[in-house]
Amino acid sequence: MTQPKVSVSLISSSSSRGRTAPRGEPVSHQPPAMDLELNFEISRTAEFILSRNFTRVALQFPDDLLKHSTKVVTCLRNKLGSGNKVGLFVMADTTFGSCCVDEVGASHIGADCVIHYGHTCLSPTSTLPAFCVFGKASINISCCVEKLSSYFRTNGKPIVVLYGLGYAHAISQIKRALEEAMPKTKMELIFSDVMCSIINPLEDHRNSDGLEGCLGTYSSENSLGSGTRYSLGGLTWDLPEGQRMEDYLLLWIGPENSAFSNAVLTFNGCEIVRYDATEDQLVTDVSQQKRILKRRYYLVERAKDANMVGILVGTLGVADYLHMIHQMKELIMLAGKKAYTLVMGRPNPSKLANFPECDVFIYVSCAQTALLDSKEFLAPVITPFEAMLAFSSGSQWTGTYVLEFRDLINSSQLEVSKRPEEARFSFLKGGYVEDFEPQENGDEDNDSTLALANATEKALQLRDRDPGSLVKRTVKSGAEFFVTRSYHGLETHANTSSPEPYLIGRSGKASGYEDERSEPELRSN
Amino acid sequence: MSVIAHVDHGKSTLTDSLVAAAGIIAQEVAGDVRMTDTRADEAERGITIKSTGISLYYEMTDDSLKSYKGERQGNEYLINLIDSPGHVDFSSEVTAALRITDGALVVVDCIEGVCVQTETVLLQALGERIRPVLTVNKMDRCFLELQVDGEEAYQTFQRVIENANVIMATYEDPLLGDVQVYPEKGTVAFSAGLHGWAFTLTNFAKMYASKFGVDEAKMMERLWGENFFDPATKKWTTKNTGSATCKRGFVQFCYEPIKQIINTCMNDQKDKLWPMLQKLNVTMKSDEKELMGKALMKRVMQTWLPASSALLEMMIFHLPSPSKAQKYRVENLYEGPLDDVYANAIRNCDPEGPLMLYVSKMIPASDKGRFFAFGRVFSGKVSTGLKVRIMGPNYVPGEKKDLYVKSVQRTVIWMGKKQETVEDVPCGNTVAMVGLDQFITKNATLTNEKEVDAHPIRAMKFSVSPVVRVAVQCKVASDLPKLVEGLKRLAKSDPMVLCSIEESGEHIVAGAGELHLEICLKDLQEDFMGGAEIIKSDPVVSFRETVLERSCRTVMSKSPNKHNRLYMEARPLEEGLAEAIDEGRIGPRDDPKIRSKILAEEYGWDKDLAKKIWCFGPETTGPNMVVDMCKGVQYLNEIKDSVVAGFQWASKEGALAEENMRGICFEVCDVVLHADAIHRGGGQIIPTARRVFYASQLTAKPRLLEPVYLVEIQAPEQALGGIYSVLNQKRGHVFEEMQRPGTPLYNIKAYLPVIESFGFSSTLRAATSGQAFPQCVFDHWDMMSSDPMEPNSQAAAHVAEIRKRKGLKEQMTPLSEYEDKL
Repeated sequence: MTQPKVSVSLISSSSSRGRTAPRGEPVSHQPPAMDLELNFEISRTAEFILSRNFTRVALQFPDDLLKHSTKVVTCLRNKLGSGNKVGLFVMADTTFGSCCVDEVGASHIGADCVIHYGHTCLSPTSTLPAFCVFGKASINISCCVEKLSSYFRTNGKPIVVLYGLGYAHAISQIKRALEEAMPKTKMELIFSDVMCSIINPLEDHRNSDGLEGCLGTYSSENSLGSGTRYSLGGLTWDLPEGQRMEDYLLLWIGPENSAFSNAVLTFNGCEIVRYDATEDQLVTDVSQQKRILKRRYYLVERAKDANMVGILVGTLGVADYLHMIHQMKELIMLAGKKAYTLVMGRPNPSKLANFPECDVFIYVSCAQTALLDSKEFLAPVITPFEAMLAFSSGSQWTGTYVLEFRDLINSSQLEVSKRPEEARFSFLKGGYVEDFEPQENGDEDNDSTLALANATEKALQLRDRDPGSLVKRTVKSGAEFFVTRSYHGLETHANTSSPEPYLIGRSGKASGYEDERSEPELRSN
Repeated sequence: MSVIAHVDHGKSTLTDSLVAAAGIIAQEVAGDVRMTDTRADEAERGITIKSTGISLYYEMTDDSLKSYKGERQGNEYLINLIDSPGHVDFSSEVTAALRITDGALVVVDCIEGVCVQTETVLLQALGERIRPVLTVNKMDRCFLELQVDGEEAYQTFQRVIENANVIMATYEDPLLGDVQVYPEKGTVAFSAGLHGWAFTLTNFAKMYASKFGVDEAKMMERLWGENFFDPATKKWTTKNTGSATCKRGFVQFCYEPIKQIINTCMNDQKDKLWPMLQKLNVTMKSDEKELMGKALMKRVMQTWLPASSALLEMMIFHLPSPSKAQKYRVENLYEGPLDDVYANAIRNCDPEGPLMLYVSKMIPASDKGRFFAFGRVFSGKVSTGLKVRIMGPNYVPGEKKDLYVKSVQRTVIWMGKKQETVEDVPCGNTVAMVGLDQFITKNATLTNEKEVDAHPIRAMKFSVSPVVRVAVQCKVASDLPKLVEGLKRLAKSDPMVLCSIEESGEHIVAGAGELHLEICLKDLQEDFMGGAEIIKSDPVVSFRETVLERSCRTVMSKSPNKHNRLYMEARPLEEGLAEAIDEGRIGPRDDPKIRSKILAEEYGWDKDLAKKIWCFGPETTGPNMVVDMCKGVQYLNEIKDSVVAGFQWASKEGALAEENMRGICFEVCDVVLHADAIHRGGGQIIPTARRVFYASQLTAKPRLLEPVYLVEIQAPEQALGGIYSVLNQKRGHVFEEMQRPGTPLYNIKAYLPVIESFGFSSTLRAATSGQAFPQCVFDHWDMMSSDPMEPNSQAAAHVAEIRKRKGLKEQMTPLSEYEDKL
């Protein structure tokens, strides 16, 4: 980098965090205490704790920042003053995505607030207040501004600037510099604001108060009285009345992470450019993200063919998650399908493969962990929004995409009132498929004590007709699925009453039992 | 009955004469209107694209029926006629037409003779137990264009008929009896569709029988074959005596008179013409006498030898009635037991029996988005307002899958470009129904609401398959709902087209060939999407993944928890076995005993091994399988379901480019499982099974299979050079080259990879100055000899391209990702 750094006085040039450090520069593993202070906003944190009189504070670190946790605690302890009896606890290895505030973990130690470090989705919490420290990713402001202004000159569209939360500290400078660089152009430039770094449980988060002083004031300047307010992943911005997001060029400053994909998917009609601060370049190709959208569309189509749906609980913290789960259950039931709710922490392929009876899973989680790339999964994993599309008859994929499930709760009333006249066309099978009538399911539920027995009996009868068949029938409940399996549990050989002979079991480690030691040689023969 | 033939042999034109005879269009325009070409693009291109039904009512005179030997009631006949397309890309339409008819009129161009598509459709007809009659068409070309003399013409016709008979003879069916055609028996007609005239030997036999005072049947025999007449001696001989006046019976009495009349008409020698016509009992209207040249000839011939009466007579005399045909067709048609009430109703064509109706295609209605369900009533009666059980193609008796009960809003008789609403339609007829289209994709069996025990009518078997695919997307993203709706309708409107969605989220339209796709996409955009613009990708060909030999070693994969191990090997299936699975001769539903017998006897399998097939895949029926080779492994049956699940997944997306696998047999060699059931559940086994399938595929010399067309080209000799060079350039190879006897034309058969076939027709046309006309039908999967694992090979290039299109990582996942070491 040959460009002089404008921000030297404010921000350390070499970040303490390896993740965002520019390539080629040595990553310093021992950040000076000064950097630590700044990066982890020790003083603001202390202020927050003291002002609200918290006594037990949980510090939640993502895996990549865990190595700094002891130093942060020491620093914070110093700041809070030795006389203070504030209990500080470090939390790591969160159950779900590390971007969410782990309320369950915090309540284990009876904490009354959580300090969240690193990348966050700023999803509202249900019980505990939280203070988020975004960290400060390094950015070369002059390089950035130069790249951006040259790009903007060629593109006449008005611009909305969004950014990764790690860059929030530099935004005011970028804005100023940009305005200086392009004084003549009457370009409309809208910068988004960080909503708030303090999450108060179940509250309206409109008024931002905590950012001033540290991140600079830039919240009230460009907010117009009338207009549409957008918010996404902790950022908010206003568009003047009559304008749609599609009219704007979206600029994203930050790395290519889930927050960015989130933005691309949500505003898939917009032209999007990304400024990568670590590489110092503009990336205009977002085809990978657009591809994700198409893939999601396929998954919705596939979900339509599903008979059994697993609801995966992907968060225990984000407000209203229970409401969402209930809503999903209701939706699935109305669509005439079976729902099973599963809590398994962060899903992985082998965990989900334990439920081969589920044709599709709905993952209820915060917006930024919602997209699980399903290639490795046996059954697709979709978001609540996609489930809405797939299971409520008559709804169509129009291109709008919602990742935040809380937006769904308000927006959609369940309107599965009447079934459509037409049978459903499945693009996977290339023809009409029949959906199970919801009434039918209702009947079964009324008679739930017998439902399992009935279903089992039915399936058994049908199976007996062709015992040698290798074909699986479509089933519509877990019980039926198990009957169609070829293995039903331990086989008892009732006719042999004599006890089985005594056998010597294996010994040794699973990676190679003792009796298997010589096996590779045997095999090669 | 259906009209079937090769493309451009004159089906639609000939059909016109029949339509004219029923009084639907005027005689004068018959041959030009092409009543059954209902679409604008059909008229424009001059080819039939969709099969069109038309119900015709005739009253025959007692006189013409006096030699009819079968049972009959009255003189009225109702003929449900279906005109079908000749181009091979649309042969699914032919299949749909044949299913709902009992007889077929095979049209053959007298000059071009029996062509590829003639053969295909003929075999298809016989497969459906459809009785054929033949007409040698375009007779006018003999007289006007080529001016061949009688003997030469006879030889040509004789050869055409012989060729057709050779094909039919290969299909011996005791129930259908002798299906070959003989001019002397009246099952061959000679026609000129364009001019609207035709004759069978019966016409002439009748005429001469009275003149010579011989028996009509005897006369007929004399008019064909080795019978010669010398007017000088007035004697019949079975050999040409060599005398100048001695001519073959056919030439003397049929060909020459026609030639004479035509020549006099064309030369406008009216003074000679009128006495001749008078002799033939042909009276012309006065205004018709003013006509000149061709128009005069057409009119005269139409009056003398009207095409309709000759063809109708042939059909009525020689094609079976529904009640006759269904007696032997019931076996082909009905899936259920052949002694139940439904089978009997079909067998007897019982109008009082339960309704059995097969919908063979959907016809777009004039109000956008709706369709008529077009089919045939095999038994019972369908009427307006009737509640029917709709059994879809996936219906399994006793289950509720793919089953709907809806009422018929209206029953309609199809009249080509027009339709007529009727109260009810009894068995034996074709019918179109309104109000069922939202529950039928392409075809279905209908029965009465209460007939819960009825089995469906067997699904149609197509001779082509949708191998050419394009991805479509809309230009404006917000048009997506329109596209989705349009694709639904497209899927309905054509028996063959397949609308599906790829893993990547792209909408795919698959058709039988380039032309087929072109028509489908045009329909999609213009008719089904209201003109919203679509973008289509280049044609995409799907490949298959297979293996060349047995895995070089037993591969092993460990479960995520490392406690379970699967050992496996892959090997290619025996030659022909994959095809047998495709055809359904071997499949998951078979009785294991029968299956193992076939496998042991035909494919040399060990009898015990054949019983150890765990599953077929992909989609549980595909041409790959898993066989258990383990000996005495504990808990093995417990993981079978998990392995099967992993196999269905892996065989659908192979390791090379995530294409379907084909012809691979996976042998489970050994399994080591954790003693605790919780550690060997599906979560551990399914992903592991998938990995070990991939590992064994990769160690068994994986190869790509590409689809290959069988191309048949007809061209004169001077075009051969061009054909060969184009084929060479496109990786095709010729395996048969034959001169058509008696013509300067050559018949060339070649194999051509589908992927090279795009633009093949136009390249060929350019290289042969339009003289060669190819027909492509998917024939088989061919292994690409190059190794896809070797960089820079052709197969590797294909793999890279597919991966790129699917948005996969450019590099194949290496074997080490799938195989674990102890």
